[in-house]
Amino acid sequence: MIGKEKLFKQLEKVLDKSKADQTEIVYIGRESGLSRFANSYIHQNVYEDNSQLFFRTVLGKKVGVSSSNLLNLSDLNKCLNDSIEIAKTQPENPNFPGLPKPAKYKELNTFDETTAKFSPNERAKAVKKIIAENNRKKFTVAGSLSTGIGEIAVLNSLGVRAYQPISSASVNMISMSDTSSGYATSISRKVSDLDVVKLAKIAVEKCDRSQNPIQVEPGEYEVILEPAAVTEMLVWMNFVGFGSKPFQQNMSFLSGNIGKKITSDKITIYDNGLDEKSMSFPFDFEGVPKQKVIFIGNGVAKGVVYDSTAALKDKTKSTGHAVTPDENNEGAFGLNIFMAPGTAKRDQMISNVKKGILVTRFHYLNGFIDQRNSVLTGMTRDGTFLIENGEIKSGIKNLRFTDSFARCLGSTIAISKETERINSWWDAIGCTTVPTLHLGSFKFSGKTDF
Amino acid sequence: MAGFMKNRLRECVDHLRSKGVDYADCRYVRREKESLNVTDSNVDAMSRNLNVGVGIRVLNKGAWGFASTKDLTPGALKKTATLALKIANASAMTVKDKVLFAEQEAFVDHYKTEFKKDPFKVSTDDKINLLVSCTDILKNSKKIKTTQASMDFYKINKLFISTEGAEIEQDLLESGGGFYVVSFDGKEAQKRSYPNSFGGDFATRGYEFIEEMNLIDHAERVREESIALLKAAPCPNTETTIIICGPQMALQVHESCGHPTELDRALGTEISLAGGSFMTVDKLNKLKYGSDIVNINADATTKGGLGTFGYDDEGVKAQRAPIIKKGKFVGYLTSRETAPVIKQRSNGTMRADGWNRIPIIRMTNHNLEPGTWELEDLIKDTKNGIFFDINKSWSIDDKRLNFQFGVEAAWEIKNGKLSGMLKNATYTGITPEFWNSCDAICNKNHWHVWGIPNCGKGEPMQSAHVAHGTSPARFRNVKVGVSK
Repeated sequence: MIGKEKLFKQLEKVLDKSKADQTEIVYIGRESGLSRFANSYIHQNVYEDNSQLFFRTVLGKKVGVSSSNLLNLSDLNKCLNDSIEIAKTQPENPNFPGLPKPAKYKELNTFDETTAKFSPNERAKAVKKIIAENNRKKFTVAGSLSTGIGEIAVLNSLGVRAYQPISSASVNMISMSDTSSGYATSISRKVSDLDVVKLAKIAVEKCDRSQNPIQVEPGEYEVILEPAAVTEMLVWMNFVGFGSKPFQQNMSFLSGNIGKKITSDKITIYDNGLDEKSMSFPFDFEGVPKQKVIFIGNGVAKGVVYDSTAALKDKTKSTGHAVTPDENNEGAFGLNIFMAPGTAKRDQMISNVKKGILVTRFHYLNGFIDQRNSVLTGMTRDGTFLIENGEIKSGIKNLRFTDSFARCLGSTIAISKETERINSWWDAIGCTTVPTLHLGSFKFSGKTDF
Repeated sequence: MAGFMKNRLRECVDHLRSKGVDYADCRYVRREKESLNVTDSNVDAMSRNLNVGVGIRVLNKGAWGFASTKDLTPGALKKTATLALKIANASAMTVKDKVLFAEQEAFVDHYKTEFKKDPFKVSTDDKINLLVSCTDILKNSKKIKTTQASMDFYKINKLFISTEGAEIEQDLLESGGGFYVVSFDGKEAQKRSYPNSFGGDFATRGYEFIEEMNLIDHAERVREESIALLKAAPCPNTETTIIICGPQMALQVHESCGHPTELDRALGTEISLAGGSFMTVDKLNKLKYGSDIVNINADATTKGGLGTFGYDDEGVKAQRAPIIKKGKFVGYLTSRETAPVIKQRSNGTMRADGWNRIPIIRMTNHNLEPGTWELEDLIKDTKNGIFFDINKSWSIDDKRLNFQFGVEAAWEIKNGKLSGMLKNATYTGITPEFWNSCDAICNKNHWHVWGIPNCGKGEPMQSAHVAHGTSPARFRNVKVGVSK
């Protein structure tokens, strides 16, 4: 960790030397450790100290991007000049709006000292506790426990100065018997929030209850989707539907549907990087303060997230969702996805199912089949159960589903009051915060042998 | 290029040797990337990235530790080496059986990718003009909503030094590119790509690979096919004969043969993210994976393949390993740690996504060997069926049995001829049933090594560059058309 003042001082020296019309610097520093375990021992155990610095320089409407992880002054100056040279070779980009102007961003507490000091030995001790819980049932366990710290800064020649230190801790685990498996996961800014023993008990219980699974034929079922399963679906819908690029390409299921009802009115999905129930973060990679953006509000399509370039195209303002400069042709992207909770209790939701399937999580989803109709496919994994007459009857062999996200959310019966924070693709700067769902109709299209 | 690092890595290795470790290796990696992206004839992104650092892997007390740093000073490297040892000792707290690490000849060598034109020396104007010319043609219709063309180039310098005395330097060069177009009629949007979806095609070659793609020559056809898809019939929900094109066969091999034959998956060490494998060790040399005409080899020496290199990241020389022979499952992708489990030596597939990641088992060029058919004859020989072209969606279970793949475009085959176009086409199956239904594979005239630059695996996530030599192939009694 370099720290705000020292980092700004170093980067301002380079910024001041820039001969471009506008210059932006994005710094991402990260130190992280991860202990990975399988067959009930740590088989991979790693540490990384890395950083990445991006220059985006602007000459008129010509834009160049260069990045490096070499951070001494001469390397930084070289990287800056490289960026300017790239800009010089470009034709004018009429769609480039210029760099954002400074704006005040919210103060958030995103750093935890204890997590920063968490050692490889402490990770190993935590993993031993997870293994011990599994040993009681003679199950093996696989998973990972990671902790890390970092700092992100955005500066530009128009006066943007944004800085945020972060810490993160996450764990996932799969308990396994000869015929079944069970999953649990958690993520937080604080490693002390990860109750690994409690999580191990959940994974062990799911594994135990799903032993000797029976085969259920594919078809249309009521389902209880637990938070990890809801997350898998939301992550894909975010990827193919809630960002500016698929929306503007008319590939999103929200394209052309703003203001129309597309799901049950019980459903509200939004991005909010400022809500500390998520892995909150106050600004984007252009230094623009994050705003809450509602994608679906009470079943009605509301909008998507924007960066400054995509916003210009739709004659609106950036919502603070720009990605890193090397990827900004991919458009804006939400990192802190929420599904609003309901009022139901999980046990009550299960007891209301006459015949249905409880899904702990999905595996290998894909949402490219028919994006405009929000069609997803994927497999269940690590704890799939048959519910009959309000009770979990037995574990079942895994099933493939193929269904429209919007269609199945249109059948929402109940949403849990409790939400869980689930790790997604973005780790330290985002996650999903989601409830358990009870859907009236969900189409399983295939089966497998385990 | 890595000369100045040699002594520093040697010092690290000496330091760890003096601590009495079982084994250690140090890897210096310098990776340069250049990306160009043109959308609707505007350059919306051009970037260069440089990433440099050292990763140090230590085996001590029978357990692994790994630490990596961007700081290349001797002091920082020694500190990182010490940390890697400390982490290995932490891992040892949970170890039941010590790692068995297969013996390996310690090579001293320098491998370089063969190429004709260094893409980093080709003028930016030339590259941009080619991409803009493509999108100029692609966008030439009112029904076209978006056009995008891109190129990516990588230059990688690696130095590997181990306590066993290996000193291997490698200079790898990769080039790739392609384009896509999205058509829209107010209700429906359809995407079509060339030469493959998700970034195009990639190879360990120079800019000549880009030129040989003849991108401009294909732009008009791809645009018109994208527009035609708007009015195409949906893929019927039925069971039929299918012919799968080369690039989609690459995806088919990747997901249903490449991943399940990674021995780390079969031994359960990838469960936490990607899952395991139905191709367990007890099935080796027994499982009838496919029909007799199915032969698949993992060949890290395939000329120009994206999975081609000199040595893997634990110092094992690149080689060709049989995986499926006349339909029978005969081999895994292995490492020095996993190979002894099946009483073999590593076949050299351990690769890391940069200096800051550990090497794990990765596909190299996982090639389906060509058969005997001309594509034209194969279509003529197919009374009724569907031809599937270029991947759009992919999903497979965590043991790699139940898969469902979708393509950008498909065509009905009626009485031995391609007829109506089909949209949103998917096919699904169970891996060994599917491969045992393969009754024809096209010959070497239709065989191409398709580069896939985004194979995800591991925690923290690693993205590998792999490839698959394939030609079109026919499968019988396949379920198609499950779309919602």
